[in-house]
Amino acid sequence: MKVWKTLTVFLLALILALPLAACSSSKSSGDSKGIVTLKFWDFHTDAEKKFFQDLVKEYNASHPNVKIEMASFNQSDYTTTKLPVAFANNEGPDIFMVSPGGFTKFAQSGILADLNPYFKDGVKEDFLPSALDAVTYNGKVLALPFEMELLGLYYNKQMLKDANVEVPKTWEELQEAAKKLTTDQHAGIVLPTDKEPYLNFLWYPFLWQQGGDVISKDGKKATFDTPEVAKALDFWGSFFQKGYAPSKLQIGPTDIGNLGTGKTAMQICGTWAIPVLENKYKNVDVGLAPLPIPDGGKPATDAGGWKLAVNAKSKHVKEAADFVMWAFGSDKSRPLKWATEVKFAYPARKSVVEEGKSVYDKGLRKIFTEEIYDTAIPEPRYNPEIVDAIGESLQKVMFSDAKGSQVAKETNEKIQAALNK
Amino acid sequence: MFKKKNRLKRKEALTAYGFVLPNFIGLTIFVFVPMVYAFYVSLHQWNALSPKVFVGFDNYVQMAKDKEWWHSVYNTFIFTIIYVPLLFGLSLFFAVLIHQLKSRYESLARTLFLLPFAITSVISATIWMFLYDPRNGFINQVLKFFGGHSQQFLGSTNQALISIIVVIIWINLGYNMMIFLASIKEIPTDYYEAARIDGATGWKAFRFITFPLLRGTSIFILVVTTIGSFQVFDQIMVMTKGGPANATEVSVLYIYKQAFEFLNMGYASALAVVLFIIIFVLSLTQLKLYTRKD
Repeated sequence: MKVWKTLTVFLLALILALPLAACSSSKSSGDSKGIVTLKFWDFHTDAEKKFFQDLVKEYNASHPNVKIEMASFNQSDYTTTKLPVAFANNEGPDIFMVSPGGFTKFAQSGILADLNPYFKDGVKEDFLPSALDAVTYNGKVLALPFEMELLGLYYNKQMLKDANVEVPKTWEELQEAAKKLTTDQHAGIVLPTDKEPYLNFLWYPFLWQQGGDVISKDGKKATFDTPEVAKALDFWGSFFQKGYAPSKLQIGPTDIGNLGTGKTAMQICGTWAIPVLENKYKNVDVGLAPLPIPDGGKPATDAGGWKLAVNAKSKHVKEAADFVMWAFGSDKSRPLKWATEVKFAYPARKSVVEEGKSVYDKGLRKIFTEEIYDTAIPEPRYNPEIVDAIGESLQKVMFSDAKGSQVAKETNEKIQAALNK
Repeated sequence: MFKKKNRLKRKEALTAYGFVLPNFIGLTIFVFVPMVYAFYVSLHQWNALSPKVFVGFDNYVQMAKDKEWWHSVYNTFIFTIIYVPLLFGLSLFFAVLIHQLKSRYESLARTLFLLPFAITSVISATIWMFLYDPRNGFINQVLKFFGGHSQQFLGSTNQALISIIVVIIWINLGYNMMIFLASIKEIPTDYYEAARIDGATGWKAFRFITFPLLRGTSIFILVVTTIGSFQVFDQIMVMTKGGPANATEVSVLYIYKQAFEFLNMGYASALAVVLFIIIFVLSLTQLKLYTRKD
């Protein structure tokens, strides 16, 4: 009897200890029989996710000595804890995505591999200079751009007509329009409300239109304590202070559904919204205009977009870089399909832009191509302390009674401190 | 005879330790070791991707000058001061109330009160975000129906923290109420009989019988709720991300920001150690204050 008891307890303990042993053995990419396994982590959904899955399938089929395993995570986790935690445990992916908001954070830590040695002949020159600048750090190309997403002012044509409002071209007209279009049924304009890189992304154009910027061209001096910044801050904050823009959104600010479902009359959004409008909100008559400018200002908009990167600590940097180059740095068909069929964005390569010319004239895209494209300035890639400082300054003018000039001064000190580090 | 008694006692003691051991191992691996490691990391500068750089107590010096950190501590204290007494009072109130109900109504009430606790934190946060929406939220619709004005709630620097406190109370009320209810049920009814004979009913019965006999449970609930209020994270992250304008940035959120947005793991660990000390001191103080020698 006693023997059975001890035996059962022993077996039970063994069974409980088994998962612990299994957990620790599933580590980084292994090689079996000469096949290189790479981990590719992504955050896209729907059609965009399928595009990458198909890409991986095609690559695996045509490259028998490489096996890429793709894993998807939600965007929120992906842009916050997923990657740093994985990298800290040496369990990070070999291939992953970075955005301008997170680029410097990763670049500073040395986790991005230099892709310079892996460019095929002539490809590096094919990239738009601004796109390549955005990924160059200390002379090294640390990620591969594959899309440029521009911002514009989308509006509901019917709502504007009903309120007798013309499409705004200046800052004053935008404020007037937002005021007249704010009713009990819908908001005047939808802008991002929470502190995150996307908030900054939408605000930068209002600073650039006046010729101002956050830091000097050489990147050493903070230029935030200027009248241009103060004006842009106060202008942005006024929409929230006066109630023309909701202080909290039910659907995310990147989702054109805010406009499509009639919750608002206007929304500043990006090129990615066009396919969504054409598929999901066919029945809503939506117009698009360049971002309004201040008196004496020049048109300007923001160009964001994600990039593919290779883990510098990966055991197979070459194989990973080869995939990245194959995906968007070789055959034009793949970046073209991404930028014109799967979603709408502008490619980062001149030859691909040429190839897709016919697409860029369709519907609302035409307005981006003809009236907005030339005014685009790439989204800056400040280090996270600066991104946070700018975000805080925006939150202050949006939700407290702080004046733009005062906030600009305080934030300038923070930015300079971050630059001095 | 003597030897036999000793052996028995030793065997009992061994069995006791044996039962506690698994839990203790778990605590050691998942709580004590990480705590020591966190203190170790706090003495370094580390961005999780490159090797650690030893900086001694520099992080703690930096923390002393960090205005945003102390503002977050202030926010956390305001949160706690409002949340803990409210939750304590409400759970006790409802426990006493439900205790008076007939058993089938009591079961129904208990289930209803416990439902919010069963929902995941993110979902409860999302539900309340819809309720609080400044334009179309249900709460504002009710307010407007009774002639009031729409409130900003999560979009207002003044109302955001209170709005979140309401949500956390909604989630935890049932759980704490159950604990009180269980303790109330253990009070022998003879006491109430005796009191009734002396003419003490209702509020007097509560004040002189129920409440004093709930002392142990009350202390437990107060300490645990205080510790819990310092750890609220999920709902705030989902509903406001610490905004608007840092109005709801509590210490845990600031630590998270330092760790995962700025990749300052060393500094974040130092903040976490300090937060731990604050909670520890607070809990000890509470225990000392409330536990009389009787």
